[in-house]
Amino acid sequence: MSLISLACSSDGTRSLASLDEGQRGVVVSVVDDPEDTDRSERLWSLGVTPGASITVLQTFPGVVFLCDQTELVVERSIARAIRVGSVEALS
Amino acid sequence: MPSCHIVRERAAAPAPLLKLRSRPLRVGLVGQPNVGKSVVFGHLTGRYVTVSNYPGTTVAITRGRAMVGAEVCDVIDTPGVNTLEGAMSEDERITRDAMAGSHTDLIVQVADARNLRRALVLTAQLARLNKPMVLVLNMIDEAFARGIAVDVPALAAELQIPVVEMVAVEGRGFSELRDALALAARPHVPAQPHASARAVWAHELTERVRRISTLSLASVQEALASATRRPLTGIPILLMVLYALYLFVGVFGAQTLVGVMEKDVFGRGINPAAIWLVDRTVPSALARDFLVGEYGVVTMGLTYAIAIVLPVVATFFLIFGFLEDSGYIPRLAIFCDRTFRVMGLNGKAVLPMVLGLGCDTMATMTTRILGTPKERLIAILLLALGVPCSAQLATIMGILGGISVVALATLFGVVLTQMLVVGWLAARVLKGERSPFILELPPIRWPRLGNLLTKTRLRVWWYLGEAVPLFLAGTVLLFVLDRIGALTVLSAAGRPVVTGLLGLPESTAQILVMGFLRRDYGAAGLFHLARSGQLTGVQAVVALTVMTLFVPCIANFFMMVRERGLRTGLAIAGVITPIAIGTGAGLHYVFDLFGVQF
Repeated sequence: MSLISLACSSDGTRSLASLDEGQRGVVVSVVDDPEDTDRSERLWSLGVTPGASITVLQTFPGVVFLCDQTELVVERSIARAIRVGSVEALS
Repeated sequence: MPSCHIVRERAAAPAPLLKLRSRPLRVGLVGQPNVGKSVVFGHLTGRYVTVSNYPGTTVAITRGRAMVGAEVCDVIDTPGVNTLEGAMSEDERITRDAMAGSHTDLIVQVADARNLRRALVLTAQLARLNKPMVLVLNMIDEAFARGIAVDVPALAAELQIPVVEMVAVEGRGFSELRDALALAARPHVPAQPHASARAVWAHELTERVRRISTLSLASVQEALASATRRPLTGIPILLMVLYALYLFVGVFGAQTLVGVMEKDVFGRGINPAAIWLVDRTVPSALARDFLVGEYGVVTMGLTYAIAIVLPVVATFFLIFGFLEDSGYIPRLAIFCDRTFRVMGLNGKAVLPMVLGLGCDTMATMTTRILGTPKERLIAILLLALGVPCSAQLATIMGILGGISVVALATLFGVVLTQMLVVGWLAARVLKGERSPFILELPPIRWPRLGNLLTKTRLRVWWYLGEAVPLFLAGTVLLFVLDRIGALTVLSAAGRPVVTGLLGLPESTAQILVMGFLRRDYGAAGLFHLARSGQLTGVQAVVALTVMTLFVPCIANFFMMVRERGLRTGLAIAGVITPIAIGTGAGLHYVFDLFGVQF
């Protein structure tokens, strides 16, 4: 298993939407949206909290990922708002 | 082994909650969706509440009584909640109100042991209610199978409340829970006003008490879980599921079983016997007609309800329960999300829509899981407009399956197009927002036979209790209308529409009237008509399309009124009826124009 760290933005995090199938990472933050003020709380309540480790299971249609032991599916706009750090790609 | 871990000093102290009181202790069960609250409720109270494997099975409060030691407790089962703050769906609000008020003295939080972090986010919110609590870690066996170990004594010590391990479906952990109730305490959660701080607290506590060793996943389940959500395999699987549904319900239920029931049991057995008996014992011709005449309670009402609809409903409920418990249905949301967005909904709406195939009235309640009032209204409208319920679905299959697959496809094509168009318009006309698509997918599980049978049995009983009286009432109404000559007047009045616009035989008018009462009752009438060769293929398609687009039944109408108010209920019915008749007229015109035959 080789671990490749990929950093794409200035703070070294990537959006969940940019991850490929099978990649893992740790949730860093959920970007707030002035249009949808409850977005972060909704995701936190599903376990997508900073520090949670996630694995991308599927990218189309809808982004499916495993967070803890919860399998979640979100639309792309939500996946873009989830910032993920320490991304590992499983070879 | 499940066990109860309680902070030692507390366990030694006298039980603070066991005392004489003026009313029973009120215990509220609360937790994330699909963690098994209803199973716990069932074990505590002996009352069965429908249990399935998807979030949103319970959308209303259920009450029951349980004995804890020598004390009687009132236990309430609540809809699953992900959050009790901020943006809540209607079912979450129902739970919040039940927990916050004086309805609950003691909170039992049921948690999925595999998802401790999420559970603790909720624990932190519950702690703010300042009520004694017990935390139940359910499905400890599944967590164990996945290599997840929770240090329960450490967790109990940190939270300073009893923490009970449980495998609710196997009945393990209940005596520990009963013991723990007496020791419930206010949880020790650092007072953090901000939600993000509580999320961090939940994360850190989880890291301290949980160990994940190897991720040994059950491979068959994992493979199925993956195959059902990927388009390349998921869509063929969906088609196979639909085909299996058709074979079991449409062929075995609606043709084989109905054939036996209608021709043999009723046609050769019950009806001739009833007629024989009535002819010899009832002196009045009117009463004889009332019982066994053309619109007789037995020969029409009971025959329709028991011979035509019951076999179909029973087979449907059985296979539908299987799908519910397997965890398959929410996976369809992934494929539907884009289509539903056109109609101002998101993929989550697939749950009420598919449940509508069981019963539109129940599904109307299930729309509570949707995020915004606009989504709820659109979903309720579309349910009433286009989703045929099990009984009706099967009569459709029974009639059209015998004619041709093209006829069946035409009907569903027209109804789906109509739903898309109406949904698209509603999304534009109605004010409000669509909520983003975020959905939890339950694990794929092999359904438990016991639960499946109990659920099917209760649903069949419910059908008998709800539909049969309406069928009988409908028959009585028809009988009275026939006697006072109103049926002829009605048929005459309906002639321009029924025979003119829709091109149907005159006798369909009264069936459409029955359809107002219950769509499936109307459909059963059509079934009867088609069986006796009074409907051509084209006429059957037109009549069934109109019937499918009607408001499902009186009960559904009342449910819409209850959920959304009288004005909205009337508005929905007012929109739907012209659409139904208009679509039927359009269809008749097109068929006529192109000389279509089935």
